[in-house]
Amino acid sequence: MNNGTPLEDYVISARNLRAFYGNQEALKGVGCQVAGRRVTSLIGPSGCGKSTFLRCLNRMNDRIPGFRIDGDLRIMGADPYAKGADLMKLRRQVGMVFQKPNPFPMTIFENVAIGPKLHYGLKGSELEGVVEEALKEAALWGEVRDVLTKSGLSLSGGQQQRLCIARMLAVRPEVLLMDEPCSALDPISTAKIEELIVALKERHTLLVVTHNLQQAERISDYTAFFMFGELVEYGQSTQLFGSPVKSETQDYVSGRFG
Amino acid sequence: MATVIDKAKREGLEARDAQRARSSRRYLGLLTGAAVVTFLLIVGIIGTILIKGLPSINWAFLSDLPREGMTAGGIWPMIRGSLLLMFGTMLVVLPVGVLGGIYMAEYAGESRFVGLIRSSLVSLAATPSIVYGLFGLAVFVLAWKLGTSLMAGWLTLALFSLPVVIITTESAIRAVPESLVEGGLALGLSKGQTIRKIVLPNAASGIATGIVLSTGRAAGEAPPILLTAGIYYSTGQLEMNLETLRKPVANLPYHLAEGYRQGGVIPESIIWGTCVVLMGLVLLINLGAILVRARSRARSLQS
Ligand SMILES: Nc1ncnc2c1ncn2[C@@H]1O[C@H](COP(=O)(O)OP(=O)(O)OP(=O)(O)O)[C@@H](O)[C@H]1O
Ligand SMILES: [Mg+2]
Repeated sequence: MNNGTPLEDYVISARNLRAFYGNQEALKGVGCQVAGRRVTSLIGPSGCGKSTFLRCLNRMNDRIPGFRIDGDLRIMGADPYAKGADLMKLRRQVGMVFQKPNPFPMTIFENVAIGPKLHYGLKGSELEGVVEEALKEAALWGEVRDVLTKSGLSLSGGQQQRLCIARMLAVRPEVLLMDEPCSALDPISTAKIEELIVALKERHTLLVVTHNLQQAERISDYTAFFMFGELVEYGQSTQLFGSPVKSETQDYVSGRFG
Repeated sequence: MATVIDKAKREGLEARDAQRARSSRRYLGLLTGAAVVTFLLIVGIIGTILIKGLPSINWAFLSDLPREGMTAGGIWPMIRGSLLLMFGTMLVVLPVGVLGGIYMAEYAGESRFVGLIRSSLVSLAATPSIVYGLFGLAVFVLAWKLGTSLMAGWLTLALFSLPVVIITTESAIRAVPESLVEGGLALGLSKGQTIRKIVLPNAASGIATGIVLSTGRAAGEAPPILLTAGIYYSTGQLEMNLETLRKPVANLPYHLAEGYRQGGVIPESIIWGTCVVLMGLVLLINLGAILVRARSRARSLQS
């Protein structure tokens, strides 16, 4: 879709993106354009390549021996895999939240401060301002403002996940990648994170992997349905869930397999 | 028909279960026996030392100089020498061992050559300390002309502890959860920043434990010191200055070895007392290591 539009007009554009773990092909030619300041959900059965796609975007898979990609990928106009591309800058622009909350074993304040401190050399009240702002943006400030010096691990699972979101926001990324951010959380915490995701699209471009189809429908403007390493269908969520074009999508969203 | 088969089957199963129960009882018996023998040995050794040595322990024994040609008085110079040897060894081992461990865990990769280095480390960790002593004698004492000295002792004991420190540092680093490392990298931290800010603080207690335990063990080893740093009796060696580094140093293991060799001259009470002190020192060090570990574990789980 949108074949006539140049790649650069989208925050993320992939064309014929293929990814391999050794000889195993995990993405078999994925093409899509992700609109800026929107929430895009990635759904599909286990092992279909959702995480792989997400981790291509911030080059998190560079660490895996034998991993390589092929095809064309642009993030905000630049090729993240180009020779000489600045990996640290890419990851500052493209933040990531993981399935299992992974706060660092340091204080709540330090968890959020570590990024701006190391990247932008912030100190003192300036740093405190950025930390406060990030915690507010992550809807956590009210709960932790009096316990900033407590360990990040002392928080509940849902709070920890929001702390990880605040930690990411403090670096001021444009794109936010979330790989099943709620799957380790209770329903109330999940609702909070969902609310947060919707609020964040005002200033960010979000890609969220989820196994919860209702969640995808609730939070996302666009949905991408993956199967066996291929992007089967991609479009507005209302359309994809309401009247899917492909029969595989129809089967999956109506819960017939997956 | 079915019931007949079931019955046969059941009897077979019962026989098998009985067989298994018998053999697990046998193994349990063997294991208990081994545990009892080990326990008795340890109690026997420690008990003997304590019974023979404890009566000589008092403040004067710990804080006085030897008198009357070592046949009376205290063993303060030896205690001090052992502490000096240990802390110096730690100073040398800390940077080299920790950097080596970081390198092995994060930068070396998995080539054939690295595999060779890794198995060499394991072999070196199991090499008898006398081999290090001879190496220290040949290289530090003679070739480097350090002479029999505190400094040669530090270097020799550091070499002796190094393999264990590198191995424990590497495994402490590898034990840091991958999710934390990914969290750091995803924030855009460089590899070095991730190691310094996230990996090392999380591995610190494991690394410290490795260093303390291995230098503690080194401090109790007689052979390396015997050949590179030891001196039996040292009067007027208590002042500390740069010259101290170039001079041999009295210490507990050496004192024990010599004291025993000169059998009869030195009263047994002094030898057993020294034994207790050396054992106590090593015990204290290990206890310290355990405390470091427990405290940092409590901190990482704190609420
Ligand atoms: N580190 C890895 N090494 C080798 N193969 C991998 C690795 N990670 C993923 N794969 C393979 O790549 C394929 C896609 O995996 P991926 O994790 O992207 O799926 P997913 O859609 O995120 O699944 P899930 O919903 O279970 O998280 C799978 O077949 C998986 O086995
Ligand atoms: Mg996944």
